[in-house]
Amino acid sequence: MGGNIGATEEIRTPPSDALIQVQDLKKYFPVKSGMFSNVKSHVKAVDGVDFSIRKGEVFGIVGESGCGKTTLGRVILGLIPITSGSVSYGGIDIREINNRELRRKMQIVFQDPGGSMNPRMSVRSIVGEPLIVNGLSDGAELTKKVGELLTSVGLKEGHMKRFPHEFSGGQKQRIALARALSLGPEFILLDEPTSALDVSVQAQVLNLLVDIQKMRDLTFVFIAHDLAVVRHISDRVAVMYLGKIVEMADADEIYQNPAHAYTKALISAIPSPDPNVDRNKDPLEGDVPSPIDPPPGCSFGHRLSHPNWEQSTKVDLSLKEISPGHWVQPCPCCTEGL
Amino acid sequence: MSNLLEIEGLRVHFDTLDGPVEALNSVSFSVKEGEIMGVVGESGCGKSVTSLVTIGLASCEIDSGSVVFEGKQLVHQTPKSVQRKIEVSKRISSALLLATVLGLIWTLFEPILGIQAAVASLTLFVLTIVFILVQEIPRLSHESFLRSIRGNRISMIFQEPMTALNPLYTVEKQICEVMKEHGKVTEPEKKRAKRFIEALIYPVNLLYTSARERPIVLALLTLVTGTIVALHLRGLASQYDLYAFLLLPSIPFATYVFSSYNLDKADITNPANQSSLILPKDVAYSTLPIAFAVPLIVFLLLWLPFSALISAALICAILAIPPIQASNYFQLDPAHRRQVIEILDEVRIPNPETVAKMYPHELSGGMRQRVMIAMMMACEPKLLIADEPTTALDVTIQAQILQLMRDLRDREGTSIMLITHDLGVIAEMCDSVTVMYAGRVVERAPILELFSNPRHAYTRGLISCTPSLSSSRKSTLPAIPGQVANPSDFVSGCRFCQRMGRTGETLSAPPDLNEISPGHWVDMCPICTDKGQDSWE
Repeated sequence: MGGNIGATEEIRTPPSDALIQVQDLKKYFPVKSGMFSNVKSHVKAVDGVDFSIRKGEVFGIVGESGCGKTTLGRVILGLIPITSGSVSYGGIDIREINNRELRRKMQIVFQDPGGSMNPRMSVRSIVGEPLIVNGLSDGAELTKKVGELLTSVGLKEGHMKRFPHEFSGGQKQRIALARALSLGPEFILLDEPTSALDVSVQAQVLNLLVDIQKMRDLTFVFIAHDLAVVRHISDRVAVMYLGKIVEMADADEIYQNPAHAYTKALISAIPSPDPNVDRNKDPLEGDVPSPIDPPPGCSFGHRLSHPNWEQSTKVDLSLKEISPGHWVQPCPCCTEGL
Repeated sequence: MSNLLEIEGLRVHFDTLDGPVEALNSVSFSVKEGEIMGVVGESGCGKSVTSLVTIGLASCEIDSGSVVFEGKQLVHQTPKSVQRKIEVSKRISSALLLATVLGLIWTLFEPILGIQAAVASLTLFVLTIVFILVQEIPRLSHESFLRSIRGNRISMIFQEPMTALNPLYTVEKQICEVMKEHGKVTEPEKKRAKRFIEALIYPVNLLYTSARERPIVLALLTLVTGTIVALHLRGLASQYDLYAFLLLPSIPFATYVFSSYNLDKADITNPANQSSLILPKDVAYSTLPIAFAVPLIVFLLLWLPFSALISAALICAILAIPPIQASNYFQLDPAHRRQVIEILDEVRIPNPETVAKMYPHELSGGMRQRVMIAMMMACEPKLLIADEPTTALDVTIQAQILQLMRDLRDREGTSIMLITHDLGVIAEMCDSVTVMYAGRVVERAPILELFSNPRHAYTRGLISCTPSLSSSRKSTLPAIPGQVANPSDFVSGCRFCQRMGRTGETLSAPPDLNEISPGHWVDMCPICTDKGQDSWE
């Protein structure tokens, strides 16, 4: 993080109402090989990320597959250990919070609704299990509570005795949401909750999420690769590329004035449901490079084989605030003129 | 433009344990030459079944309708009477086979009568089988006709590229297989026998080349051979099993030769390549532990009876593995490989030479889908059916794949039938659109007409429920309530009215598909075509 300490300090100063504060977070996975499983190198899944999430805010994270979105989410939740840096929840480092207490405050909804449920458990036990584990309710009270939860996500109380395979994808995602809501958390991580769903069902689930968030004043982190969906639901959006945040701003700001070339490329790749727009735009070439040995400097400039990429290895790439609340990774190749 | 594919009044059902379940009900549309035709609808609307029926891969019963491709009928229905005949004959044939066996057992007690009975029932059995075969001839010839078309004139890209590719074969083998099947490969450069002989003399060749190019290898080789000969001449060899003993240093030596040979090859591959390739270098390093372990094992074996023989066999086997691996015998002919690389290059795969030798698990999702497209384009088909080709991919990769398919159409004039549930993809790609709902075509129109003037409520619902960059944030999206009904509960009338929970006569009277303006066909349900009746959540 070298030279530009002022900017780094600024982004690390939490706003007064910050719920989650992430500071220089890194998560490296060791790559083992050889006879004695020697650690040969590291997959730098999350490589120095700073941001804070306010209470009652929906924070969107976008990026292609392999950019470290899911890893970042799981590290925030404390599901996988942190390599370095810190995540604090309400001012306390999550490593110091009791695990049981942490789970009551932070919950998760996974991408694949079918895969995250035990097919041999009824909906009542799936949704009620967190309550039983935490000793909050049992018996008839549990049935009543699960019924309320199911009603709040748009299912019927009668669905309680059924099993996951009897539901469609959208309904399963509703059950997963009811399970996440069962402990009354303040924070829910939504890891691509709609990408396995049809458009019409996706719209239903998104409406439900918006309603629940408003009603219960929840804080969401919404991870997705569909930018239109993220924009629809989020207050602020962070764009990730190869383990780093390259741009972060208010949702409207980032779509109207994208500063980083990667954000621009992502936005132009969204297929728009309007046949009159220019069809022959040039798509972004190539794949996300392997995070095992990321190129030095600006990794997106490297993918574009930008002529100015060489210069980016020599400058400081920490996030810079270009307008209030709009943070960009300044580099000579992807954000020319900044 | 003439119609390449014409589907007319297709009706199919699946036989399940709960009775027949209707999957398609009067599906009609056509794909023109050089056109990209989009089929849109939710899961369970019969999009995939339509495509599978088209290429004859569906396991359903076809009740009526026709699929005509380049003037040829692709749907073959065995008439009911023939089906019954075959059914009865099959039962009779199994009874006759049983009778033959019983007759043979009877010969144990009454030889002549038994033989007579067995022969008689066997003759009848053969006759029945011949009868069944004669009845089946039209179906079998149709099947072989379909095999010649499938992958050749019509090919299909499936949704999940990982499950569509075989994980056990390299990319080049899989692509070449399609071409071989349809006779599109060029003359092989080398004959099979010649390649086999080359593989056999490969170790000698390898030693010869490395000795010629590296003085140290030559020196080592001379040293080892010289020591063996010297010991032999002095009569010491037989005392200590020295033959085997002296072969020990030759094993790390051979490994050294092998690894250095491979390292040379590794330099040829492009170092700028960013993807995580398994380079031959790694293979060479991984053989080094073996090189140290093997002398140890051999050394232990030396103290056992027949030790020399066993160890020599072991050493030979271990020495033989790397050359066999490296030899060209198990790989493709160079001429065929060039052809495959050319095709991979056409779908803009970077580094086609390296990718051709990879296995599907080594590729990313977008690359796999490209390989899949390359395989399907190998025979230059007239019609490409793409069943949700980009649903599992990122937006950026999706844009690449769509661009690729559009280029193919522009260059080769291939017609594409694109199945998706994303109207954004439809708007970007297609020339005309067919909207399907619950096994029925509800609307069919050219792309601009459909988006500017959607007549059916379902089309309007699909268009409006997609979040776009211009809609207001956190607003309630106009989602279509409910979900597609279970196929066994379908009503005969308008099924979208069924979903919206309407009652009345629209549920019982099947709506007609009418052409309201040139090329714009709509399922004329009075409620669904009325804009004022839309009620989204």
